[in-house]
Amino acid sequence: MWFVRLLSSSIGKKLIMAATGLLLVLFLITHAAGNATIFMSSDVFQSYADELHSHPLIVLVFSFSLLLIFLCHIVAGLYLFFENRKVSHSRYEVTTRVVKNSFASETMPYTGLIVLLFLFVHIFGFTFSPKDVQISVTVKELLGNFFYALFYIFAFVALTIHLSHGFWSMLQTFGINHPRYNTLISRLTLGIPLFFLLIFGGVALYFMTGLGAHY
Amino acid sequence: MSSINLTLKIWRQQNSDALGRLETYTLDNVNTDMSFLEMLDVLNEKLTKESKDPVAFDHDCREGICGMCGAIVDGVAHGPEKEVTLCQLHMRHFKDGDSIVIEPFRSRAYPIKKDLLIDRSALDRIIQAGGYVSVNTGGTIDGNAIPISSQKAELAMDAAACIGCGACVASCPNGAAMLFTSAKISQLALLPQGQVERKQRALAMVEQMDKEGFGNCTNAKECEAVCPKGISIRNIARLNREYLLAALTEG
Repeated sequence: MWFVRLLSSSIGKKLIMAATGLLLVLFLITHAAGNATIFMSSDVFQSYADELHSHPLIVLVFSFSLLLIFLCHIVAGLYLFFENRKVSHSRYEVTTRVVKNSFASETMPYTGLIVLLFLFVHIFGFTFSPKDVQISVTVKELLGNFFYALFYIFAFVALTIHLSHGFWSMLQTFGINHPRYNTLISRLTLGIPLFFLLIFGGVALYFMTGLGAHY
Repeated sequence: MSSINLTLKIWRQQNSDALGRLETYTLDNVNTDMSFLEMLDVLNEKLTKESKDPVAFDHDCREGICGMCGAIVDGVAHGPEKEVTLCQLHMRHFKDGDSIVIEPFRSRAYPIKKDLLIDRSALDRIIQAGGYVSVNTGGTIDGNAIPISSQKAELAMDAAACIGCGACVASCPNGAAMLFTSAKISQLALLPQGQVERKQRALAMVEQMDKEGFGNCTNAKECEAVCPKGISIRNIARLNREYLLAALTEG
């Protein structure tokens, strides 16, 4: 079958990573847009959340699609990680990396795992939070905790590092690499992760520092 | 002309089944005008005179165009100089008293035959899977009969500069052969002569690449950084496009 051959090939597995990665970035943009309402006031944020959850079917279908995308990204990522680990990093007595700034590309599986760990904490804290407490109260309570917020910021830094290789890598896997656009791509590869860090990290910092005490 | 004294740590391995180890040799008065391979020649002469087994290493043209030579020098394929093969690396780039670690190119797909000598026939089998243009009949066609834009010709030539030394695989953290395969696919995919077998070629060469046990590309860019011919990873992007298109539409 043509798609079995495609998906079982080395390039096919990379395409799964790239395609699901793109969808996850798009999800993060919608998530960041929603979260940005926190900076306006608790009422705006609460009405946004209420509006969203007044259409339970949208939330349900969206959540399950997202779960599927995440699973594909994680399973393909783990498969590639273990397959590549067979090529030992210590195959040479002396190993010198020639490429500068290779930290992000070397640590992709690990930054990915940190984001996954964060996801469990985040879903447990917010998605399955007590239904009788308003979400605008929960966010202030949870992120008002210094160490909880610190963990969030740590995870967002990991996400930023993950995307600072991932975004470019995704376009390369899709075959998008052209001298005319490469400068733009390298700027986006820095800008998009920093945008997420600014919004998501900003929310955590907002409550952590007490700025959002009366939001 | 100046000369330097070196300590060499070289991987010695009797055959593909034997266990290897690094052995230390001292080599004095190395002429800095010598190439790296000439330095190894001098060492081998010395070893032979001492009735020891000389170091086996790959070499052929010694002018950087054949793709036979290559070793990992202090952790970098083809040594510290950019865009040169090992035979074009000169001893003037080293200092007196330097200690140099020399290891063979390593990959799951490259069995070590002896010392620094490796079997790179896995790369040949990727070419055999589809890295050619079939011409089954007729005489030689006039070179200018098919118009090709100079931009396309240049890009194809850049890809065709690959000499198949295998440094990309040896330096890839995952042991992937993507830069090699992408160069070989690009040089034909860009030209009109390569169009007939274009899709078949992309599918067959990638399938062979996977079968040989090469790793998965994680876009670490190490291959591009050590390539003695400066092959760009833009070719890998082209290979990804070629493969996706072929997988979606062929057959």
